[in-house]
Amino acid sequence: MTTLSGATVDVRRTDDATLFIRLGGTWRLADGLPRVKDVERELDRPRPPRVTIDGAGLAAWDSALVVFVGAVLDGCRSRGIPVDARGLPAEVGRLLELAQETAVPEERTAPSPSGIERVGVRALKRHVKLLGAVAFIGDTALALGRFGRGRGRYRPQDLWLLVQQSGAEALPIVVLVNFLVGIILAFVGITQLRFFGAETYVADIVGIAVVRDMAALITGVTLSGRSGGAFAAQIATMKVTQEIDALRTFGFSPVEFLVVPRVLALTAMTPFLTLFADATGILGGAVVGTTMLHQPFSGYVRQTALAVTAGDLVGGLVKGATYGLLIALTATHRGMQAERSAARVGDAATQAVVTGIVAIIAACGVYQYVFFLFGW
Amino acid sequence: MADDVISVRGLTMGFGERVVIRDLDFTVRRGEIFVVMGASGCGKTTLLRHLLGLQEPAAGEVRYGDESFTSAPPDERERILRRVGVLFQGSALWTSMTLAENVALPLEQFTSLGASSVRAVVRLKLSLVGLRGFEEYYPWELSGGMQKRAGLARAISLDPEILLIDEPSASLDPPTARRLDGLILQLRGALGTTAVVVTHDVATILGIGTRALFLDGEAQRAIAEGPPSELRERGPAPVRAFFAGSVAGP
Repeated sequence: MTTLSGATVDVRRTDDATLFIRLGGTWRLADGLPRVKDVERELDRPRPPRVTIDGAGLAAWDSALVVFVGAVLDGCRSRGIPVDARGLPAEVGRLLELAQETAVPEERTAPSPSGIERVGVRALKRHVKLLGAVAFIGDTALALGRFGRGRGRYRPQDLWLLVQQSGAEALPIVVLVNFLVGIILAFVGITQLRFFGAETYVADIVGIAVVRDMAALITGVTLSGRSGGAFAAQIATMKVTQEIDALRTFGFSPVEFLVVPRVLALTAMTPFLTLFADATGILGGAVVGTTMLHQPFSGYVRQTALAVTAGDLVGGLVKGATYGLLIALTATHRGMQAERSAARVGDAATQAVVTGIVAIIAACGVYQYVFFLFGW
Repeated sequence: MADDVISVRGLTMGFGERVVIRDLDFTVRRGEIFVVMGASGCGKTTLLRHLLGLQEPAAGEVRYGDESFTSAPPDERERILRRVGVLFQGSALWTSMTLAENVALPLEQFTSLGASSVRAVVRLKLSLVGLRGFEEYYPWELSGGMQKRAGLARAISLDPEILLIDEPSASLDPPTARRLDGLILQLRGALGTTAVVVTHDVATILGIGTRALFLDGEAQRAIAEGPPSELRERGPAPVRAFFAGSVAGP
């Protein structure tokens, strides 16, 4: 006899070798299930001509009993042993019948692929993803062309709202982060230049670093986390709620309607934000420079102005625009790629931020090399 | 009474200052399928949210058996709700999980079943709702009707004493809706579950309801209670008009 928190299973053989299974007590899922293996062992030594299941001793039961009886019946069926289960409550039989009525679809159990197959499948998936990315860039370029010719379908108020969200609303965080970066650069600069007695050149170092690269880069990273993540989550959610399907059915291109306004807004706003980032980065450096070197503020600013050229400024703004474009493209692409599931919305946002940051740092490297080649 | 599974006494529901329904009184008895009906916006789903503690009443009380749910502390409420299974209007399946994982999660968290037993119970529950073989599918890969059935499988995963069902036929075609009604009846017959069904679907009300409560949004109160067929024939004028179809659905 097996007992488990009140459920009892009594297995014995009658005079005519029938295996008699008496189920009793209280069967509750919360208490666990008795082991079916004990009964199966009895079915094999030696195989009985028939099995009788009786539930006269049952006090209370739930699905635990149905699962157990179902497993015993499966065991008897696979061994070709006839079963008499009339001694069970009628409801158990009714539930088992209901469970059997299901039309079973093809089982989703593909044979597990070999190592080489897995490499091939991964390579093909990457290939498909790459093609998808290229197609997306092409679609966006065409949609931007239609927008340029005044034939794009979009809502102007959406575009202005995105401009506000990507520009003015992002300004405080961009300003704060770049101010702190300016402070850090100045600290590091002064500490290192002091070894050579050249700490008065900290204004040159901070100014050039901020204007040429750091302002655009830090602004890009900030926007990737802020606007990029939001773009991807918005578009992925629209996929989940079938809003994108609805756009398509009305003949709107989701790329024109959703991607182009975001690309334009972020590409246009990032240089402006970079300009503010330039100013606040230099200001952060000036706070440290004037405090630690007891240099007048006007002197620090004058020295910065002498060190930084118009080319540095324009180069930084061009980089800013490029980063804005890359963030918007990667974010909208990740959003459009998302599957119809709430969990995929979070994944899309995460991937958008990560891809955006990788893309802008890679672009920064390319810019450095090109500027170096041309001696800028 | 021992047969009173849910009792609602003097319940007033609303949103801030706006009252939706006031002074609601009714009792759900063991083993019945109790239907809450009424036109859109009359407070049916709001009532369900009050039964689940997702919204607090402006006044009155909800009781499960002889325990007050409204005045119970959070851990007590959790214990009481363990006796309740819920099928939400939009199924509310967890989309990052397969159907098997959706049904298995409550079993893993609230029972001492081992992994193989959990798998066996999951298979039974999905089979009961006609979804055997769909264990590894994700919710978004299924039709609306299949999602509803999967939601029902999850709702009955712990063999709840009470099932709360919100608009079972919403966004389903009539044959699929009738199949789901039949399934609710069969499960009630086999498991002895008490069900509270919130719906405006006349076919569901007449098909599966043993007793019904009619909420009138304009009057801000319940205006009729009784067996659905009786209400259709001899209920107050708004109820008969509702059954006759002169009250617009959503």
